[in-house]
Amino acid sequence: MTRKTQDHHPASVHPAPVHAAEIVREYGPYPGADRVNGVTHDGHHVWAATGTQLVAIDPENGQPTRSLDCACDAGTAFDGTHLYQIAEARIDKIDPATGQVLASIPAPGHGSDSGLTWAEGSLWVGQYRDRKIYQIDPMTGAVLRTIETNRYVTGVTWAEGELWHGTWEGDESEIRRIDPHSGAVLERLQMPAGTGVSGLESDGAQLFYCGGGPSGKVRAVRRPKTR
Amino acid sequence: MDSLINAAARALAGGDALGALKRVALRDDPSALALRGIAMAQLGEHPRARELLQRAARGFGAHEELARARCIVAEAEVALAMRDLRGSPRTLATAAGTLEARADLANALQARLIAVRRLLLLGRLEEAAAALTRLDARDMSPSLTAVAELAAAELALRSLRISAAQAAFERAHQAATRACVPALLAEVAEARATLDRPAARRCAGGVEQALRLDEVAALMASSGLVVDACRRGLHAGATWLPLARRPVLFALARALAEAWPADVDRQALIACAFRIRRPDETHRARLRVEIGRLRALISPYAHIEASARGFVLKLHEGGDAVVLAPPVDGEQAALVALLSDGVPWSTSALALALGASQRTVQRALAELETGGRVRSVGRTRARRWLSPPLAGFTTILLLPAALPPE
Repeated sequence: MTRKTQDHHPASVHPAPVHAAEIVREYGPYPGADRVNGVTHDGHHVWAATGTQLVAIDPENGQPTRSLDCACDAGTAFDGTHLYQIAEARIDKIDPATGQVLASIPAPGHGSDSGLTWAEGSLWVGQYRDRKIYQIDPMTGAVLRTIETNRYVTGVTWAEGELWHGTWEGDESEIRRIDPHSGAVLERLQMPAGTGVSGLESDGAQLFYCGGGPSGKVRAVRRPKTR
Repeated sequence: MDSLINAAARALAGGDALGALKRVALRDDPSALALRGIAMAQLGEHPRARELLQRAARGFGAHEELARARCIVAEAEVALAMRDLRGSPRTLATAAGTLEARADLANALQARLIAVRRLLLLGRLEEAAAALTRLDARDMSPSLTAVAELAAAELALRSLRISAAQAAFERAHQAATRACVPALLAEVAEARATLDRPAARRCAGGVEQALRLDEVAALMASSGLVVDACRRGLHAGATWLPLARRPVLFALARALAEAWPADVDRQALIACAFRIRRPDETHRARLRVEIGRLRALISPYAHIEASARGFVLKLHEGGDAVVLAPPVDGEQAALVALLSDGVPWSTSALALALGASQRTVQRALAELETGGRVRSVGRTRARRWLSPPLAGFTTILLLPAALPPE
């Protein structure tokens, strides 16, 4: 099925450039957090969703600074004021100061959701096995747009107008830049064997923060320069 | 990898099987199927669990080998709990190899341990012992160690190495304590109790005495001649002479040992060996032939002399002639005692050993099977009978914990 989908893409005619991902730094694992389901960046801290706790990590020294108790099973996002967190089959809007859940909307994939990011007034939700990214209204959860890709989607992020997503199938894991209109693959960063990308978030500069799934680690990966 | 799968896996790891099911009950993607299968197994719904795990294994793609191998191991574990031994050991071995290659050592060890327990259940004791010694115990979690030691204890018990079995039980107990799993501790205690139950009766000079397994082992290690009516054979020092396929010789040996040091009347010998109450001259000739055969067989340890009214057993060295009988009399007890060596027996071999008809043996076995005191593998003519395993193996605890693909 994967092969078939690929053939429809113009990218298979002009294969996307492939690089090895350059891992700049590894954080964790942190005590009591044996997996990382999602990551986000609030301008100062990296937030890692560890299942039962959202942990804020200082990227300078790698120390956890604080944590919020909440269910966090998949992607995490930050809109400048609030955190958004996928838990079971819903998306919680969380006050980062108190950890209080302010609102919840149904997740578009009814629980098969993986990555989450905020951009341009919308939430973007990765669908793992469905190989899709939904753009949804953060107030109602209504699906505004669907982008189809040809790999299982883990984390999703926007960086300087580029849409990137993580993919992790079995032993293969990559960070991919795709065309937000056609879903065509434009660039691929291959993760080394044994490391995978669960959550993905750009820090707004030259780094991606990647959740390492059951390794419990967060990795910083250098983002290729915009041409 | 997606939200509900993570949530369900978290519930399952916390022992909340119903909570896990609630989250993924309506989903049919392979990760969800695997989680549903494990939850079902924990709830005791074994046939449904197997079906779900099989579907999950098929659903994972070629690039998701690790997840597929874990499903195969989990399914094998459930099959073992159902005592279904038809599955191919090769599939399990391949899965174990995949897990080893991908550095998932805990699940790989578990796969190897399932293979050992399967061989134990099939009564292939030598292969089981060889596979068990190949396991690398260093990386084992306490609960896996406990299971491995239980298997070692069972192997030792079947071959009557009592001190080895006691040591293995002690290690199993310690590991189960470390694992903090009450069900596993109970299992070790239950299996260990086998050591304290009467395992046989010692009959010598008209006196009977109940023996525990360690006393049986001590008796066999002593000098003298032990006629073992449990396993049908003779122990002479370190030598074991099996007589399961020679019922007449065994009956004669038993009668002579029971009477020792006195002699036994010819008429009585004919009655017990040939089951004839009014013998004529031909039976006395036949008795002489059979006594001659027995004499040749046991000549290194004892000889048989003719007395005025019959025959008498004389031992070469010091020591006694003793008969070791099953703890209680009767066909069923004799069958259970015969099977206690842990290897598979066919109905015809059992009938021959006990000198009973196949139909009688089948009837007794059927009753014993209903009571769970023996079990069978195979069908029709390939059917073999085995004693039940000493340890039941708490399956639920051992299912691979984390199945979401990664």
